[in-house]
Amino acid sequence: MAEQTLPGLKAGEFGTVSSVLDSQGSAKRLADLGFVHGACVMMVRPGEPCVVRLGGRCVGLGGGHQQSILLSPE
Amino acid sequence: MPQHPSGKQPVVALVGNPNTGKTTLFNALTGFRGRVGNYAGVTVERKTGLLRTNLIASPVEIIDLPGAYSLAANSADEAVVLDALCGHYEEHSAPDVIVVVVDATQLARSLFFVSQILEIGHPTLIALNMVDLADHAGIDIDADSLAKQVGVPVISVVANRRTGLESLITTIGDTLQTHAPALVEHRLPFPECIQEELAGLTAAVADNANPAARGSAQVELLQALLEPEGYHESVMRKRHGDWISADLESRRERIRAAGVSLAQVEAGTRYDWVGKVLAQTVRCSRPDRRPRSEKADVVLTHPVWGLAIVAVLMAGCFQAIYVWAAPIMDAVDIGVTASGGFLRSVVPSGAIQSFLVDGVVAGVGGVLIFLPQILILFLFIAILEDCGFMPRVALLLDRWMRRLGLNGQSFIPLLSSFACAVPGILATRTIANRRDRFVTMLIAPLMSCSARLPVYVLLISAFVPPTPLLGGFLGLQTVVLLTMYVIGGLVAVAVALALKATVLQGKPAPFLMELPGYKWPSAPTVLHRMYEQGKVFCVSAGTIIFAVTIVIWALAYYPRPASIFASHAAMRTEAKETHRATLAKLARRANPAVTPAELPAQRAIATALTEIEAREAAFTALIDRNETQPGSTAWETARSAADADIAGIARQHGTAGEIALALHESRAALNDRLAEIDRAEAGSLLRQSILGRAGRWIEPAVRPLGWDWRIGTAVIASFPAREVVIATLGTLYNLGGDQSEASEGLRAKLRTVTGPDGQPTFGLPVALSIMVFFALCCQCAATLAAIKRETNSWRWPILTFSYMTVLAYIGALVTYQIASRMI
Repeated sequence: MAEQTLPGLKAGEFGTVSSVLDSQGSAKRLADLGFVHGACVMMVRPGEPCVVRLGGRCVGLGGGHQQSILLSPE
Repeated sequence: MPQHPSGKQPVVALVGNPNTGKTTLFNALTGFRGRVGNYAGVTVERKTGLLRTNLIASPVEIIDLPGAYSLAANSADEAVVLDALCGHYEEHSAPDVIVVVVDATQLARSLFFVSQILEIGHPTLIALNMVDLADHAGIDIDADSLAKQVGVPVISVVANRRTGLESLITTIGDTLQTHAPALVEHRLPFPECIQEELAGLTAAVADNANPAARGSAQVELLQALLEPEGYHESVMRKRHGDWISADLESRRERIRAAGVSLAQVEAGTRYDWVGKVLAQTVRCSRPDRRPRSEKADVVLTHPVWGLAIVAVLMAGCFQAIYVWAAPIMDAVDIGVTASGGFLRSVVPSGAIQSFLVDGVVAGVGGVLIFLPQILILFLFIAILEDCGFMPRVALLLDRWMRRLGLNGQSFIPLLSSFACAVPGILATRTIANRRDRFVTMLIAPLMSCSARLPVYVLLISAFVPPTPLLGGFLGLQTVVLLTMYVIGGLVAVAVALALKATVLQGKPAPFLMELPGYKWPSAPTVLHRMYEQGKVFCVSAGTIIFAVTIVIWALAYYPRPASIFASHAAMRTEAKETHRATLAKLARRANPAVTPAELPAQRAIATALTEIEAREAAFTALIDRNETQPGSTAWETARSAADADIAGIARQHGTAGEIALALHESRAALNDRLAEIDRAEAGSLLRQSILGRAGRWIEPAVRPLGWDWRIGTAVIASFPAREVVIATLGTLYNLGGDQSEASEGLRAKLRTVTGPDGQPTFGLPVALSIMVFFALCCQCAATLAAIKRETNSWRWPILTFSYMTVLAYIGALVTYQIASRMI
């Protein structure tokens, strides 16, 4: 199965971050917020922007950032 | 009272992620006696206060630094935190102790920041805040074990209940005593290539040391290394020379060649460490429980319900501004009127009385009256901020803001600008994308700030009838007020689109914001925020407005040429002569033996006269009671009835009645004439004054907006600070005649002032035109100065000022031309 990105998750589904693409020039910011290899992400509200939970914090993410977060195939 | 901190006292810095209760802790430690200053060159607030306690021998200076997630300096605020902690500000030395405030319910994200702070190498301790909430959420944190794992003291506190403060203060005291870095050595297991390059970079920087440059902390070097072209690289270039860019790039190449991701490596290493620390120290008794915040978010971040809630909250806030504040405002109004009356009774009439009553009381009082409304607005914004809803509002509006070429993060600065554009412009610092940030700054002054509110409220309450709409839920006045806010918003949309299409082209950056957990707003924090903003407002009312009032009053009062007094004195004499001549004629007709002065005392005439005057008094009383405007149908009806009655009375008394009537009419004519001369004199004086001459010079430019020269002058005088207009209008209209009615409020006065043609100066079209002008114009020097500082260029404030002034003029012109034809 091909690598999935964040918008592929439905509300309440979990995913594991495999890597973050540096397409928006903010890969380091995303990493500092907790989007690191192996981090567990839960989709709280899909959409534009979406709300995800990771490591106890909630983060709102716009489209460009959602696409650049790759998840490991389950 | 705290003394001026000399810098000799030990300094303790509070740092932490946003929303960790850092400011609450600051207030608890310093007893709400913080002083706000600025860091050199940036507009970030430097909030300091003194901790005085018998637990530590000497007073300690506490600094409250802005909230930060990372030392990577993704925003201007974070850069300030880093510079302050590393001691890069010449005038402030590095803190002696760093207290990291950590939200116990958000330990993971806070420990990331802690691990960066520890690398600065200063004595550090952790204030584990909100342990009660963590406990409630089933998160059990072993503080002793955490202290052992991290290597620094950990003190559990509940800042808003002041629990654990003593223990925190004692630990601060102990750390100040020993002044040894609390930890032995904090080194995270970064991959070998990173460690090597960091060591190499440290050596290279030391070799090429510029003696004038300050040293860079390890954590700064690490950030410069990991982020190509980032903030830290530019700082390093300034500090150590341009050679460093090439050096950094070759090191990055080697790191990439080793297969290490520059973006991921720091966060990966730190979160690994955080995970290990958490595993040792935290037990979650209810791991499956969804956080309460998440449940609330089901509704509150819903694309439809969430937006509906935002809309209802905003409408409720505006309604509150209008309805709740009214009784308090009336009370202030009575107070202002009473002080004016009091001054009028104790100060002899003349220049000083006129200055005090028409200038100071009317001006400062006219602005103070709006304090309740401004406090309500700040209350609303402070509650939304403190409970954590603001970032959600940004999220909800992101999709809509995107259509304007902005992103949701621009919404918070814009919302703050409804209170005041200056903090709004400062709040744009969280927007990472430069173009998005500049567009937001340029349109922020179009949001109707609280200083516009007095102008709106004054004109609306004077000229818009309080017709209830929607079954009394909203009043027409509220609707007009909302319309003014909407006009600013719509124009802002158009301007944003225009800017994005021309000088600031580019796609908006995608949304990225942390959504902090909801919490109940803390009353002390919210009230303190209201108090601080209210204080700023009152101080401005007491200084800027006071000063401008003095200048405007003087310009409108002087010169007072004797020729005007002489010509009007002659007119008065002439009027009295006419009256005396009439009396003489009547006296001859009644009884040649009676002198004109004795005429009114003749018994038959006196009887008739008394009856006529009684009827006249009844008319006046009726008009006053019903507040009937002269010229209205009701007034005309009452007048003809009175005239008919008076004619009847005169007929009953025969010749004596006729004479009494003629006498009465002549007296009335004299009084009218004298009042007219008084007004004309005051009017001529004002016209001849310096301000009057200048005003008439600009009148042709403002005539198409429906304004007379007095409004034009008041508007121009309010360019440095828009709230000045109230004071200026008060001064101008009080000086311009109607002195006897000066005890009335400005609101009532505006309704009754007339121009030279006898038509009312103000009407709904004029009021609307003024309001639209104020809605769109940038009459605020402080805002322009903030834009200058934040953009570091004159270009943007000049652009802002020019486009807003042009739009304001066009807007007012269109409004008046349309409204005056429709109404």
